[in-house]
Amino acid sequence: MVKSRSVVQAKKLLVGYGGAPVCAPVSFNLPEGRALALVGANGAGKSTVLRAVIGLVDVAGGALTVLGAAPDERSVEFRAKVSSVLDDDAYFPGLTVAEHLYLTARGHGMLGSRELVAELLEEFGLAEHAKSLPTALSSGQRRRLLLAAGFVRPRTLLVLDEPEQRLDLRMREDLADRLNAEKEAGGTVLFATHDPALVRSVADRAVFVADDASPLLMPDEAAERIEAEP
Amino acid sequence: MSTHEWDDETPDPVDLDGCPAVAEAELGDVPRSGAIRRYTRDATKQRAGARLGSLLSDVYYSVTVLAIGVAVAAGVVQQVGQSTPTVTRAGGSDLMPTIVGVLIGALAATVVSLAGRLGPVGAGGAEAAWWLGLPVDRKGLLRPTARRLPLAAAGVGALVLALLDGGLLDDTVARAVRAGATGALAAATIVLVMSVAQSLGASRRVGALTGDLMLVVVPVGLGVAAWQGLTPDKLPVPSWPVLAAVALVVVALAWLTDARLGRIRASSLRESGSVAAQAVGAMVSMDSRELGRALSDGAAPAARRWVSRLRTARGPASALVTADLVLLRRSVRHLVQVLLAMAVPVLATVVPELSGQGPVLLAVLIGGYVAASASAEGSRCAEMAPILDRLLPLEPTTARRARMAVPGIVMLVWAGVVFMAVGSWLGDPAGWFVIGMAGVPAWAAAAVRAAYRPAPDWGSSLVSTPFGAVPAGVGAVLARGPDIVVLGLLPTWIALVLGNASQTLGIIQIGTSFIAILVASSTSTKTLSERMLDAQKEAEKQREAAAAGR
Repeated sequence: MVKSRSVVQAKKLLVGYGGAPVCAPVSFNLPEGRALALVGANGAGKSTVLRAVIGLVDVAGGALTVLGAAPDERSVEFRAKVSSVLDDDAYFPGLTVAEHLYLTARGHGMLGSRELVAELLEEFGLAEHAKSLPTALSSGQRRRLLLAAGFVRPRTLLVLDEPEQRLDLRMREDLADRLNAEKEAGGTVLFATHDPALVRSVADRAVFVADDASPLLMPDEAAERIEAEP
Repeated sequence: MSTHEWDDETPDPVDLDGCPAVAEAELGDVPRSGAIRRYTRDATKQRAGARLGSLLSDVYYSVTVLAIGVAVAAGVVQQVGQSTPTVTRAGGSDLMPTIVGVLIGALAATVVSLAGRLGPVGAGGAEAAWWLGLPVDRKGLLRPTARRLPLAAAGVGALVLALLDGGLLDDTVARAVRAGATGALAAATIVLVMSVAQSLGASRRVGALTGDLMLVVVPVGLGVAAWQGLTPDKLPVPSWPVLAAVALVVVALAWLTDARLGRIRASSLRESGSVAAQAVGAMVSMDSRELGRALSDGAAPAARRWVSRLRTARGPASALVTADLVLLRRSVRHLVQVLLAMAVPVLATVVPELSGQGPVLLAVLIGGYVAASASAEGSRCAEMAPILDRLLPLEPTTARRARMAVPGIVMLVWAGVVFMAVGSWLGDPAGWFVIGMAGVPAWAAAAVRAAYRPAPDWGSSLVSTPFGAVPAGVGAVLARGPDIVVLGLLPTWIALVLGNASQTLGIIQIGTSFIAILVASSTSTKTLSERMLDAQKEAEKQREAAAAGR
């Protein structure tokens, strides 16, 4: 059996703001080619864990390694390999939808970005809006643009914060397929979600982030917990 | 650890070396940061629609407005310098250098505070979302932003110091030029030091608090020194060789800042960029409350050590007052402002060199308005997000009256101290105390009226002014609040000018305070003239209806 290598390792990880942890310690190993879901109630700390993984929030306790080192988004190598889609809803007012994707692809040194951008625009249902400014898009379309930007660049680790938000059912299913294809291609996915279907279809494991304890669960258990939430 | 753990307890990590695991296209060289900026700029330019003519027009307009602004400021400063009688100590020496020193100290503290709150280096909005994740050298992306604030600070520093030196101290042009150069270098140094501190991980809160502390310590320290008779005869201005040496330090700091730009964390850049964007938006739309929020929110601690149980909340109105009190108690900056605003008029009455009717009146006017405004944070928050106002079963008018309680309590203390000091200086402390107490409701009303003032109507026709085109009625909007200070406290001002706290003026002050409360309780956003026009139209309609009925 081939020993899988770890992309993200968290041991009793504590995250928070101003030194105050927002959730119970989180522990998990995320090997390459796998997907881990962070589930839990609103405000449980899922996004803060994700932000710690991509180096936007300081670790308050425990240990966290991403690609073999403490996460440091100031490192060019780190930025080249970690793709993240958070809830940023900001765009250059003068750049079209396609130009935002070109900027990301070319900024990462992707050759043949024209074909890649065209494919992604088609896949995310934005082909008709390629020349539109983001201000002319609906909130769901802007969300799709952000997701497309996450896939238009090279990556080893893909970090997504509630990617299902503002997407219709069909697009959620397409996204699940996309994430499974990502795993098959050797990519690693870490995502926070409230969608039990996405957990069942994509995640290999899940962490239920909460105040008292943050256990590691199988996808079905995690999905059931989401469904049991009030 | 859970039994659901993946195969290995401690697997080997995937390291940062090597190619990314997934890439849908072939990888080439990563472009330079300059190319990223150029691509963004060129793509934006293509559909900006701005032509060379409009660009030149904008430049001409900006230069003209700046020149007019400088000329007006120079004229005002010169006028103040000429019209102010020489303020001298008992020993005969001029006190003006000390006053200018206080102003310069306050300016330096403001630069520290602003630089701390604004970052100084930031990348907000689209830049944060689309640039910071790219694997390019961030220095090139951040360089223009990093240069902007030191240059702006240098410009303001040069202008203010040259104007103060040439206008108030009546120095020669050569000395004013040197003072201007000193101001530019000092301001740039402060901002660059703050930039280096940011790259070392210093929090924005520390910079902001340092500036706030300086803002209190410098004026009070110099005021106390003046009280003790320690006043310089002339403010020192460094010689050109010294300035050249300082310029070398500035260049070194600029180089160090540039070299460390890539070390600034994205979270810090995002925070600073967001604050700067909010502050610029507030300035462009002339919204001082939004500017205050932009500059203070980010400097607040993320969590509280204790949770208030709001024990004094016994009903809707008292809940509103309790919430405002908690807000004020938690805002150290505003409490310090109140203390400072109390100290200034008291100092004006006890420092013999400043104890003239004019300086004392000015100190009471400015100190009172600062103290009242500082205590109305609850109203300002409610104007932006009227959460409590909507949750509690209170009429809008009643809610505004309830919101006058906290400014009223604060101004009760302020007026008690200040007018007792005025009374000790002018004689008849009891009479002055009564006048001060009678004016408290007017101060509270002014603070609440200013906090609830509506935004200017940017859709209305524009009026050309020496400072550029502004919407019609913007002056009336900005005057909401200060108008009550001037008119609602008129008996107090008359008493201060006459130096006599008569019983009649005290009674009239009670009357004007009552009117001030009625005006500030009103939720109408129309100006007095607009309301008169509406009343006239309504009367005409009624006349026409009556005529038709006949």
